[in-house]
Amino acid sequence: MSDRLNALRQAVLQVLPEVDGVLALKRGPAGIAAPYLFTKEKPEELEQLVLWPKEPVPDTAKIILKAHPDAKLAFVCRGCEERGIVEMFKHAQVNLDRLTLIGLQCVQEEAEFCRCAKPYTVHAQTIVGQPIKGVSDPLTEKIAAMSQAEKLEFWKKEFEHCIKCYGCRNICPQCFCNICALEDEIWVQTGRLPMPNPSMYHLVRAMHMTAKCVACRECEETCPADIPMAVHFRLIARDVQEMFNYEPGAVLDQKPPQLLVLEEGDYTRTGLPH
Amino acid sequence: MDAPAYEPKIIGFLCNWCSYRGADTAGMARMKYPPNVKIIRVPCSGRISPELVLRSFREGADGVMVLGCHIGDCHYSTGNHRTAKRMPILKNLLEYAGIEPERLYINWVSAAEGEKFSVVIKEFTETIRALPPFVEVMK
Amino acid sequence: MIEYRNVLTTCPYCGTGCALHLQVLDGSLVGTLPAKGHPISQGSLCIKGWNAHAFVNHKDRLKTPLIRKDGKLVEATWEEALTLIADKLNTIKAESGPDSIAFLSSAKCTNEENYLLQKFARAVIGTNNVDHCARL
Repeated sequence: MSDRLNALRQAVLQVLPEVDGVLALKRGPAGIAAPYLFTKEKPEELEQLVLWPKEPVPDTAKIILKAHPDAKLAFVCRGCEERGIVEMFKHAQVNLDRLTLIGLQCVQEEAEFCRCAKPYTVHAQTIVGQPIKGVSDPLTEKIAAMSQAEKLEFWKKEFEHCIKCYGCRNICPQCFCNICALEDEIWVQTGRLPMPNPSMYHLVRAMHMTAKCVACRECEETCPADIPMAVHFRLIARDVQEMFNYEPGAVLDQKPPQLLVLEEGDYTRTGLPH
Repeated sequence: MDAPAYEPKIIGFLCNWCSYRGADTAGMARMKYPPNVKIIRVPCSGRISPELVLRSFREGADGVMVLGCHIGDCHYSTGNHRTAKRMPILKNLLEYAGIEPERLYINWVSAAEGEKFSVVIKEFTETIRALPPFVEVMK
Repeated sequence: MIEYRNVLTTCPYCGTGCALHLQVLDGSLVGTLPAKGHPISQGSLCIKGWNAHAFVNHKDRLKTPLIRKDGKLVEATWEEALTLIADKLNTIKAESGPDSIAFLSSAKCTNEENYLLQKFARAVIGTNNVDHCARL
């Protein structure tokens, strides 16, 4: 782990003089890490650079870039964070021209923790670490294989624990709508807990994540009730891949299916009558 | 005395230009079809967001139909493309959440297809009648 | 030069004491991030914690004490406000006795602040009427 940390430090030091700042993780008081903008004026702060835990870097990037649209920045990002930034670029939330991506590859333990199929970067100019193969997702497989009655029971029990903290939406890199449908009284009743069955909040969120979720799993990590809602997002992502041949964040110049008129080929794969 | 037989409650979202006029055609030709579908007229099937379908289920609808114009015939040219992209994903999501995907029905009915309209209503009502009432599923 | 950092702090709302990061961009507060790895909150926050930064720069937040004069609330100095409170408490204590005054503290205050309040109630005013805002 320390070799990777040193390599990352070297990569950041190399990029530091050319940019206004490098966004990476800094160890704070009591050893708790948080995103921080390292600047060339204080390179000694890089002593406190850390690798883990994964933080929602794309969201932070957006905050800085909105306030300083002409800034040149570099980000240390893992595979999922890079996909998050690319997908945000496709939705006109960031400008990739002034961004340098430093790709941090995940190791086996980290990939298994996130049940990640693609723990490596594809667009980053600088690479730190060795890319490894993705791992399987046993939780999603297990839930997908359940019978209809079992699924109903499982999700009813899970969603009963939701306290509507809106953490999953706040931390998602793809949730940037100024007016969020989940705050509308018509769809999500205020003051009602536990959630009704079916849970409007989670199913509406799953639909809005179609062709946008980059499988970073920040939502599951911040959920106080440990609800595995990313399972829904991953199953939908599988359908989007099958029907529209689209994977969020993968190919830079592929437009998301929401923006495109349906081609004949896409139409036949949706299973709808002609 | 027997309890009244289960009559499914179905919400039908029909687009103003094709499927709603198809329903009119069926009515003018005095075609018979079951009365279980409550029709809501919308300007285009593309107006039907997943929130509307999910809210219908939450309010106790046993089935939801979305009928639009044929691809290529939409009055707003690409409105039904949105339906065609959105609704299959929603059907799959219902399945992943443990709800029978057959409860959501999507089809294209043009203004002249009165016969098709009555057949579609008849078949869907029978499909929903064979499933348990939605409120039972949600207990 | 752009300055972005996260300041680790404790949520001011309930007694759980979840940790959160306040996002500070160029010296002003812009948002909240949960604190991963913290033993209590473990990277989660409730809805109050997620919005704990919102009141800091809110336009409705009081910046000076307000005193009601001729039926209207007007801005005053701390000197004026504290003098008024001391005078009124002394008057009420003299007219109706110390037990006519009650003190309500809060989980949002620190232990030290709550200790001061009950000490003030008991030693200065001379009453045992000390309770907590949750009992309102």
